Amino acid sequence: MEIRRKTTSKKSKRVNYIPFYFMMLPGIIYLFINNYLPMFGIIIAFKDYKYARGILGSKWVGLKNFRFLFKTNDAFIMIRNTVCYNLVFIILGTIVAISIAVMMTEIGKMRVAKVIQPIICFPNMISMVIVSYLVYAFLGNSGYINNTILHGNGISWYSEPKYWPLIILTVHFWKNAGYSSIIYTASIGGIDPALYEAAKLDGATKMQQIFKITLPIIRPMILMMLLFSIGRIFTSDFGLFLQVPMNSGALYDTTQTIDTYVYRSLMELNNVSMSSAASVFQSIIGFILVIGSNLLVRKLDSDSALF
Amino acid sequence: MRKFLMNSENRFRLIVLIILIILTIFCLTPFVLMISASLTDEQTLILTGYKFFPKKIGFSAYKYLWAKRATIGRSYLLSILVTAIGTVINVIMTSLFAYPLSRKDFKYRNIIAFYIFFTMLFNGGMTASYIIWSNVFKIKNSFWALMLPTYLMSGMNVLMVRNYYMASIPDAIIEAARIDGATEMTIYWKVILPLSKPVITTITLFAGMAYWNDWVNGVYYVSDARLYTINVYLNKLMTNISFLKSANSLTEGANLVGMDLPSISIRMAIAVVAVLPVFIIFPFIQRQLIKGVVIGGIKG
Repeated sequence: MEIRRKTTSKKSKRVNYIPFYFMMLPGIIYLFINNYLPMFGIIIAFKDYKYARGILGSKWVGLKNFRFLFKTNDAFIMIRNTVCYNLVFIILGTIVAISIAVMMTEIGKMRVAKVIQPIICFPNMISMVIVSYLVYAFLGNSGYINNTILHGNGISWYSEPKYWPLIILTVHFWKNAGYSSIIYTASIGGIDPALYEAAKLDGATKMQQIFKITLPIIRPMILMMLLFSIGRIFTSDFGLFLQVPMNSGALYDTTQTIDTYVYRSLMELNNVSMSSAASVFQSIIGFILVIGSNLLVRKLDSDSALF
Repeated sequence: MRKFLMNSENRFRLIVLIILIILTIFCLTPFVLMISASLTDEQTLILTGYKFFPKKIGFSAYKYLWAKRATIGRSYLLSILVTAIGTVINVIMTSLFAYPLSRKDFKYRNIIAFYIFFTMLFNGGMTASYIIWSNVFKIKNSFWALMLPTYLMSGMNVLMVRNYYMASIPDAIIEAARIDGATEMTIYWKVILPLSKPVITTITLFAGMAYWNDWVNGVYYVSDARLYTINVYLNKLMTNISFLKSANSLTEGANLVGMDLPSISIRMAIAVVAVLPVFIIFPFIQRQLIKGVVIGGIKG
């Protein structure tokens, strides 16, 4: 510190901020347009929006859009679906991800692990449109299941809502299970092997090692991931619920989520009021949940809190 | 062998291995079906449906794609173009933005960091985004529609890159460069970027994946067929098929050929072609990508 004071003059010690502002400018402008303007755009939900009049010129109607939305049966269906699917994804997903991570660590030293891990992560790398084609190859009228397994007297999957919770679940885990285990695999890999050696000497079985050593050590990690996913419980994977059921109207009962409702009422029914009411409802509840879950994380384990 | 299995540890490991291999097969099966369907002779496909081992192999689907290379090739090129330009801008903007925020002698760094962070907590929702982009900025049916919304820069990545700079580039190096008279831009270009290759690779991969796989911008902002990227093209194809199916429920294959909609094997062939780049690149990037998930997952 002292050497620097001697060698640099007083003037150059002061940082010139102007180049910094130029470096940050593109990012600041982009976030303003892409993220902050839509936040102000929330007022659209409180207006009778007309394209011709613009956002500010449209008539203020207060909570009318919301009252209207919650009178419909759609509101109940989409909220129920979004929350229920997410709950199952979170609970089952955590168990699946940790199990895969434990298993991956178990075979970590074998050469096959280097092949298995990328392959089970690969489904996460492709777009939902492609996934919908893959699913269609199984479930379409001449698809694999109807033709080969059920020998022609098949089920028209795309018009029977009752099968879809299972289909959605399967597709979700096919796409995400491997990828979501990466983070747990990494943190289990960081556990000191001496702990397991000691347990083995004491005669602990594999299962005991998992439940008494692995899980307690990664508990903060699990909690953190759990609470962050609770913060996103009102957000659904748009592609999973729109593309995979091929946007089929017959399946709304089990595939409509808030995101697909927002899309459908905006783009297909041209109903800006309902779409904006649903989307603002989603972002406000989402905000409350993010803040709430973070408060909880901070109480449980202040180091892993986001803020 | 029996001795090997007597050991409970070995037995456990064997069971684990079997489960994981089953999981691996489960992950790969759909791709095998897709590829074999695309290689099945069209008539056989209508008669017997999708099979893992086609009774009669035919390359008609790929021949058709080649004949249609003007339209499909165009979407393909557009995908490459959008991905390339979008990724480059994304990486430059992100890494440049993160640099001042990593400098402890920059007074306003916390205010700006909060400006970024707040976008991760709260958003205006899709409807507001849509109306702002399409009615205020009028990007509908333009090249910008594929490029600008959502993917150009993510606040989370900026903070991730900043954390990386702060953790792995010593202040002394920056200080030394400044004393040598380097401008901030030179420091960023000659010192920061070369020293942060892992995180730059990570955000390049994330951005590239997001652009290549995107169809949401296409669905919301594009209706002009000349602006279909390969994923948007596939999506519109699927939409047309389901529309036709709801219009009349004849057996699909025969019906769709007459409507000049690509038949079943051709659809699968297009899907194969769309995944192909990911298939080819993935083995080379997977290690970096998996590492990147770990870097990104540590916070948030």
